[in-house]
Amino acid sequence: MANIIFYRNKCIGCGICFEMQPALWRLSKKDGKASLLKSIPKKDLFVLPAGNPVLPLAKEVALACPVKIIKIV
Amino acid sequence: MAKKKEKPILAIMKVSEIELLSPAGSFDCIQAAINAGADAIYFGVEQLNMRTRSSVSFSISDIKAVSALCKLNHIKAYITLNTVMYEHDMQLLHTILKEVKKQGIDAVIAADFAVIEYCNQLQIPLHISTQANVSNLEAVQFFSRFADVVVLARELTLKQVAQLGAAIKLKKITGPSGELVKLELFVHGALCMAVSGKCYLSLHTQNASANRGACVQNCRRPYIVKDAETNEELLIDNEYIMSPKDLCTIGILDQVVNSGVQVLKIEGRSKGADYVYTVTKCYREALNAIENNSFTNENIEDWLKQLSTVYNRGFWNGYYAGHQLGEWTATPGSIATEKKIYVGKGSKYYPKIKVAEFIIESGTVKSGDTLMIIGAAIGMAKEKMDTLTVNGIQCDQAVKGDKITFPLGTKIAAGDKIYKIVDNSNG
Repeated sequence: MANIIFYRNKCIGCGICFEMQPALWRLSKKDGKASLLKSIPKKDLFVLPAGNPVLPLAKEVALACPVKIIKIV
Repeated sequence: MAKKKEKPILAIMKVSEIELLSPAGSFDCIQAAINAGADAIYFGVEQLNMRTRSSVSFSISDIKAVSALCKLNHIKAYITLNTVMYEHDMQLLHTILKEVKKQGIDAVIAADFAVIEYCNQLQIPLHISTQANVSNLEAVQFFSRFADVVVLARELTLKQVAQLGAAIKLKKITGPSGELVKLELFVHGALCMAVSGKCYLSLHTQNASANRGACVQNCRRPYIVKDAETNEELLIDNEYIMSPKDLCTIGILDQVVNSGVQVLKIEGRSKGADYVYTVTKCYREALNAIENNSFTNENIEDWLKQLSTVYNRGFWNGYYAGHQLGEWTATPGSIATEKKIYVGKGSKYYPKIKVAEFIIESGTVKSGDTLMIIGAAIGMAKEKMDTLTVNGIQCDQAVKGDKITFPLGTKIAAGDKIYKIVDNSNG
């Protein structure tokens, strides 16, 4: 198991996360930023514990994020 | 006595009617622009502006305060909403524009047709962004249905700009206000290696679209040419071949004015208050000098010297004077002749005696040093410490943990930052 950490307030709403992994990501119609589904808000970030089978693709999403605000720890 | 510039100044319009438009990435910068004599500022909110990555953008809730501050100081405020817009951005766009309308922001700077359409519906004044790359009269005429101001592409020559200005008058091309369409031109700041807004390098290499304000500035790096047959690598010597020097038109500002543009724009929403203050002040003085017939070579040299003290990659006139090829930087980053080093933050202001107190958090401050204060109320101010008062006693040096006090006409706030200015002429 690992945690997907999402620093949402830095999101530029490019939509690559949703394009790559719609099972985990949505684009908010309210503010145009991405949302990490079922994640737990912790101060300025959102955390989602994740394991297989979503983790390998989540790592690719983290690499693809243009502003590098998705971390897998 | 300095020799006057040879070309006579035949201003098509009064210099006093020209608007000087400064960038603002923070409240510090807005105040710095006001103090330096800007007629207007432009700013971005949230993620729908071209400096999303590089500047600390304002939020929607800041629009009210930005508008109030600008109105109080009798300058205009324009908001940039000039990225590529996706479907999922529409709700945010609506929310921003409703707040823009409510708070009386003077205009929206846009390129996307969704923004243009919503502004039209809400009857918000519109300026066409340089991202639309307007380079001909038909485009000006097209956008005149929606906008009173058109920001031209930075790749035009001044001759082309003048032709556009003359044609607007001749054909009486008016905007929604009924006034002739105004032309706006970038006069100072960073240039893009690509034609305005048409760069995809950052997107292709890092998936970070410059057109969503996320440019990673690939063009500012050195590159190697590789012979595909022999694998021999050649480092391109002494030139960053995709990194243009910064635009600086202060030496040809009389010609810029004569081209008939009505708005002069300074680039740099990701720059600090010191940059905004220095650049705005130089261009304000230059405009005043043109009006007062004191636009001399001596003054130009002095302005160039001042402009060199803040962030710059070296200067050239851009394409306005007819250059067909760009001029490229020889070093990475800034070659500013001055550098600011963080030393501490504001702690208290004594209004009766007009004395400011700062806590030193890093490095040392010595008598004779020049300090720079940056804050929302003060904008940017420089003070030379002829004498230094440390913890209430005159002293030669302050170190970490010390409190320094000195007379200051403008109130500071707790948390305002203080820097030491050091010479950086040798990099």
